[in-house]
Amino acid sequence: MDKFQPLANSSLEQTIDKILSQTEKEIESNISSALSDSQKTLNDALPNLEREYDKIIADGKKEADKIEKQITGGADIEARNKQLLALEESVDKVFKSALDQIVNADRSDDYANLIKSLLEESTKILGTSEIIVFTNSKDKDIVQSSLSGFPGSELSSETIECLGGVKIKSKDGAMTFDNTLDARIERLKPLIRKDIAAKFGVNN
Amino acid sequence: MAAQGTIVWVSGPAVKANGMSDAKMYETVTVGNSKLVGEVIRLTGDVAFIQVYESTSGLKPGEPVVGTGNPLSVLLGPGIIGQLYDGIQRPLRELSKASGSFIGRGITTSAVDMTKKYHFVPTVSNGDEVTAGNIIGTVQETDLIEHAIMLPPDHVGGKISNIVSEGDYDLETVLANTEKDGQSIPIKMYHKWPVRKPRPYHKRYDPTVPLLTGQRVIDTFFPIAKGGTGSIPGAFGTGKTVTLHQIAKWADSQVVVYIGCGERGNEMTEVLVEFPHLKDPRSGKPLMDRTVLVANTSNMPVAAREASIYTGVTIAEYYRDMGKDVVLVADSTSRWAESLREMSGRLEEMPAEEGYPSYLASRLAEFYERAGRVQAAGSPERDGSVTLIGAVSPSGGDFTEPVTTHTMRFIKTFWALDAKLAYSRHYPSINWMNSYSGYLADIAKWWSENISEDWFSIRSQTYGVLQREDTLKEIVRLLGPEALPDEEKLILEVARMVKIALLQQNSFDDVDTYCSPEKQFKLMKLCVDFYNKGQQALKEGASLSDIRELGVVSSLLKARMDVKDDEMPKLDKLEKDMQEQFKSISGVKVSN
Amino acid sequence: MTVEGGVQYSKIAEIKGPLVVVDDVENAAFDELVEIETTEGERRLGKVLEVGNGKAIVQVFEGTTGLSISGTKAKFVGKVMEMPVSKEVLGRVFDGLGRPKDGLPDPIADKFVDINGEPMNPEQREYPKDFIQTGVSVIDGLMTLVRGQKLPIFSGSGMSHNLLAAQIARQASVVGTQDDFAVVFAAIGVQYSEAEYFRRSLEESGALKRSVLFLNTADDPAIERIITPRVALTVAEYLAFDLGMHVLVVITDMTNYAEALREISAAREEVPGRKGYPGYLYTDLSTLYERAGKLNGRKGSVTQVPILSMPSDDITHPIPDLTGYITEGQIVVGRDLFRQGVYPPINILMSLSRLMKDGIGEGSTREDHSEVSNQVYDAYSRAQEVRALAGIVGKAGLTEIDLKYLELGDTFEKEFLTQATDENRTIEETLGLMWKIVSKLPRNEITKIKDKYVEQYYKEE
Repeated sequence: MDKFQPLANSSLEQTIDKILSQTEKEIESNISSALSDSQKTLNDALPNLEREYDKIIADGKKEADKIEKQITGGADIEARNKQLLALEESVDKVFKSALDQIVNADRSDDYANLIKSLLEESTKILGTSEIIVFTNSKDKDIVQSSLSGFPGSELSSETIECLGGVKIKSKDGAMTFDNTLDARIERLKPLIRKDIAAKFGVNN
Repeated sequence: MAAQGTIVWVSGPAVKANGMSDAKMYETVTVGNSKLVGEVIRLTGDVAFIQVYESTSGLKPGEPVVGTGNPLSVLLGPGIIGQLYDGIQRPLRELSKASGSFIGRGITTSAVDMTKKYHFVPTVSNGDEVTAGNIIGTVQETDLIEHAIMLPPDHVGGKISNIVSEGDYDLETVLANTEKDGQSIPIKMYHKWPVRKPRPYHKRYDPTVPLLTGQRVIDTFFPIAKGGTGSIPGAFGTGKTVTLHQIAKWADSQVVVYIGCGERGNEMTEVLVEFPHLKDPRSGKPLMDRTVLVANTSNMPVAAREASIYTGVTIAEYYRDMGKDVVLVADSTSRWAESLREMSGRLEEMPAEEGYPSYLASRLAEFYERAGRVQAAGSPERDGSVTLIGAVSPSGGDFTEPVTTHTMRFIKTFWALDAKLAYSRHYPSINWMNSYSGYLADIAKWWSENISEDWFSIRSQTYGVLQREDTLKEIVRLLGPEALPDEEKLILEVARMVKIALLQQNSFDDVDTYCSPEKQFKLMKLCVDFYNKGQQALKEGASLSDIRELGVVSSLLKARMDVKDDEMPKLDKLEKDMQEQFKSISGVKVSN
Repeated sequence: MTVEGGVQYSKIAEIKGPLVVVDDVENAAFDELVEIETTEGERRLGKVLEVGNGKAIVQVFEGTTGLSISGTKAKFVGKVMEMPVSKEVLGRVFDGLGRPKDGLPDPIADKFVDINGEPMNPEQREYPKDFIQTGVSVIDGLMTLVRGQKLPIFSGSGMSHNLLAAQIARQASVVGTQDDFAVVFAAIGVQYSEAEYFRRSLEESGALKRSVLFLNTADDPAIERIITPRVALTVAEYLAFDLGMHVLVVITDMTNYAEALREISAAREEVPGRKGYPGYLYTDLSTLYERAGKLNGRKGSVTQVPILSMPSDDITHPIPDLTGYITEGQIVVGRDLFRQGVYPPINILMSLSRLMKDGIGEGSTREDHSEVSNQVYDAYSRAQEVRALAGIVGKAGLTEIDLKYLELGDTFEKEFLTQATDENRTIEETLGLMWKIVSKLPRNEITKIKDKYVEQYYKEE
C-alpha cells in the first residue's frame, strides 16, 4: 500500500543532517547527563534498599526478595525512562532547529521545484486536476507562479498556517490532501526519530 | 478469452468485479495487483462475485481481476504423498521458502515437484486400445505407494502410440500418445481435475469389509466399512482430534488424506512431526509414506477453508481410482459449514437455521456421497474405496444444531463424543448408548470368517451388559448400590470392567494405542467369560466380594496395556487363571 | 500509533453505531487505517471494513459520539494499522490502541508491524513441548502449560482468576532463563483496579521491566477493544521471534472483546449466529489465539493465557465454547470451590491441557507424571460421583471403597488444590502430593499406573 513515494524528502533530510552535526555535542552532553542521572538514581536506590532489607528481614527472605526486586526493578525502569525523555528532548531540539531553518530559508529555485513536485504528487493522489490550492502568506507568489503548469487549479485567497508546501482541495470540496511540509515532516517523524536515536547509540 | 475485469467492491474475503461477462461460474481468477487467488461464485450481469483464498487486506477498487479460464483444480500425479498442502493445494513447505515462517500472499507454486524423476514401468504397449481411466504404467511414489499412471477420467480414449520404455522420467515427459480420429493426445505422469466434480468410476459396491482402526470401541462396537461414511461430533475437550489422529494413524487403508479444516495450527504440526516416526503396523514403514495433509487452519483465509474439503476428497478419489483403499478424515466439517455461512452472508443470501445457507444440507450430502467402494473406470479391473470420516464441532456440544442434524442424515456410523465421559477421563469418550453403526450387519460376516464365529454373539452379550448397567444406574442413583441384589451388582462390576478393559484406550500408551482384531475379540470374550462365571459362582454360593477380589480382575483391567498384540498366549493364560480362581472361590466345579 | 498523511474526504453519508459511511471515496483499500477528524479538530482512528462503489464503511475505534454528518472528515492513511516495536517497549504502558499511556514518548521503532499479523505456516511451527513450571500444583500436575501453548482461564464474574493469572505470570517468570522472559499484559474493558493489581504484582516480582502493558479499562472506548489484543500480540510476536524471548501473554477479559465485535456486527446489520454474536466469531477469535506458538529455527515463543468470564458461568455460551475449540485446553474456575473459599478454585474435571502429554515425562518432569495424573483425575472423578450419591442415600448406603474415594476427594482439595497465592511449589513437591492422594486407594483400585511406578512411589496408608 505505498501510495506515497518519498518525493522531495531528500532536502529535508539534508537539513536535518546539517543540524544534527551542529547540535551533536549539545545532545551528547544531554544524554550523558541523563545517563549519570540514572546512575545516580540507581546508586540512591541501594542504601534505600539496604534499609528496607534490614527492616523486614524478620518477615522472611521471600518478602525481602520481593522488595529487592521491586526497588531495583523500579530503579532500572526509572533510569531507562529518564534516558528516553532526554532522547526525546534532543529529538525535539533537532526538529525545532530544522523547522526554524526551513521557515527562514530563502525561497530559491529549488523551492519552486519542490512546490511543483508536491503539486504533481497531490493531483495524482486526488485523481483530479480541478483543485484549489492553499499555502501560507509567505509562499503565495511562488505557488501562484507554479500553478501555471497545472490547468484547472487555482490558488485560494485564504492562507493557511504552515511552514511551507501546499494543501490541496478538490473543487467540489469532497477531498483534501495535505502536502504541507509540516504534514510531511509529521509523516517522516518516526523514521527521523529512529535515525537520530541511532546516531546517539541509544537504541541497540 | 479470459475475463479481464476491475474490482468495484471489497469486504473481507468477498470481492465484486465488473467487466466480467466472459467469466465462468467457479472459474479461478487472480485478484488485484498482488495476484491473489480467487474463485467466481456468482455472476450477475457483468459483475462477478469472487471468493478470495488469501487475505484481502489492502485490496482496492480499481485493481484488476483476470480469469484463468479454468475451474479450481488439483494437480494429480506422483509426489502428492507426504505433502502438507493448503486449501488450494499449494505445498506449505514451498510457501515457507517464498515467505518464511508466516504465510505471504500472491505466491504461486507447483503442487508437486515437476522435475523429480520416477521410475516408470509401462503396462501397455503401442497399439493397445485404451479408454478413460486406463492404467498405462506405474511408478513407485513412496516405499508404500505404487502409483498408477492413468488416463484422465475425461479422456476420449484411443490407441497407444510412442510409449516410452521402462526408465526414469520427470512429470513433464510425454510417456505415450493416444491416437483417435487422427488426433494425437500426449499422456504425462499427471493430469488436472476440477475439485468440485466427483471423479467417475465404473460401478459401485456395497460396503462389506470393515475398516480396521485398532480402536476397540470403533472396530468392535461401532464399526465403519471401507467406502463408508462416519461422523464424530463432540464438544471441545472431548478428544475429537485425538480420535481422528488415531484413525489416521492406524486405519488399514493404503492412503490417508487428513484435512485440517479451520482447526489448530499445532495439530497439523503434530501430525507432521509424529507421523514420519510412526510405523505402519502392517508394513513397518513410516506412516507419512501413505499420508497427505491438507491444512487450512482457523486463522488462514476462510474461503480456502471451503475449498480444502474438495481438494482433499479429489485427491482421495484419485488414489481410489488406482485401486487403493483411502481414508479421508476431515476435521472439522463444522468449520467448513461456517465458511459457507460466511460467504453466504456476504452474498446477502436468505439464511436458513442459525444463519447457515439453505444449501448446507445438499452440500453435505454431495460431500458424503463421494464416499464408496467402487470398481474403477478403465482396465485393468481394480477395486478401491474412499471412506469419509468427518468431525463435527457442535456449538455448545448441542447435537440438535444444523450441521450435526444434517450430517446425521448422510452418514451411517455415528460416534457421539460425550463431555461427561471426557471429564472423567474416559477416553475415547465415545458414548456407547448414543453412538450407532449402520454397517454392523454387513461386516459381521468378515469378523466371523476371519476372527471367530462367535464374534456377533459375544459382542451382543457384551453390549447387553452395558445396556443393563444403563438401566441399573438409575436405581443406584436413587437408592445407592447397596439396594441391588448381588447378581445386579455383578453387572455393574462387569460393566466397569468392560469400560476400563475394552472401551477405554490410551492413545499415548505404546501398546494400547493400537489393538489387533484378535486381541479385541479375546479381551471382549474374557469379559463375557468373567460375567458368566461370576453369575454361576454367585449361584453356587460365592460372595460378590470374593469375585471382586480375584487376582485376575486387576490383570484383566490392565491387559490392554500389558499384553502386546504378538503375546496372545498371555491372554490364554489369563483365561486359564480365571478358571482356576473361580474354581477356588466356588469350591465346586465351574463349567466352561 | 503514528498517523500518516493521505486524502481526506468530507462527504459523510451516514453515522450509525461505531460506523461511519464515507461517500465519494475514490482511493481506499480494505482494512486501511483511517483518521477521523471531528468538527472540533479532535482526531480518532478507525479502519475500513468495506469499500466499493464510491463508499467506504469505516469502523471508528474511539466511537462515534459527537461526530456529525457535516464537519466530520475522514483521512485514508494509505496503510493498514501498524504498531511501532522495539526493545524499548519493555517496561512501558500503552493504551488500548498502542499509544503511550505513561507520559513517555512513542517508542523509537525498530520497525512498524501490521497489527493483524500473518498466519504462521503450520509447516514452520515447532511443536510446543517445553514444560513451564508455574509453581501452581494443580496446573503443573494436572494441566501442564508448555511454551507456545494457548491455555485460557474460563472463569465467572467476581472469581479469583486474576489472582491466579498474576501468580502464573510472577512464578513462571522466575524459573531459569530470566533474561529471555517477558510478560505482555492486555487489559480489555476490565476495571482499573484489576489492571492495577496486575501491574503491581509484576512490579513486586521485579518483572515489570520485562513487561509490556496495554490497558483498555472499562471506561475506555468499547470498539478500541478490537485492537487491544492485536497490538499486544504484535509486540509479543516481535519480542519472541525477533528478539528470541519467551513471552507470556495474559489477556483479560476476552468476553469484552467479543462483545465489541458483536456491537460492530449489529451495526453492520449482519445475520447473527448464536446469541447475536457474528457467525465469524470463531474465525475472528482464531486470528488472535493462533498467534501463540513456536517457530522452527527461532528461539522465542508466544504463550497465551487469555482470561474470559463465562456469562452466567455457562461453558456452552458461544464465547467460551468457540474459544475452547481453538485453544489447546482450558483451565476452568469453579463457582462451588470458590464459594468454599478454595484457592485456586479450579474444577479439574472440566479443565484440560492438550499439550500436556508432550511437555511431561522423563527428561522434563518425571516418567510417572502422565500415569499418576490419569489416576488422580480418575479418582477425583469417582470421588465426585460418590459425593453426589452420598448426598442422596447418605454415607450408610455407600460401600467401603466408596468411602475411601470420599476421603480422597477431601484430601485432594485441602492438600493438593489449595495453595497460597505466594506459594511456589516445585514439580517434585507437586508429584509427591499426587502420590499421596493416590496412596489413599487400595492397590487394586490403581488401574492407570504401571506396576513399576506403583512399586516405586505408592505408599498405602
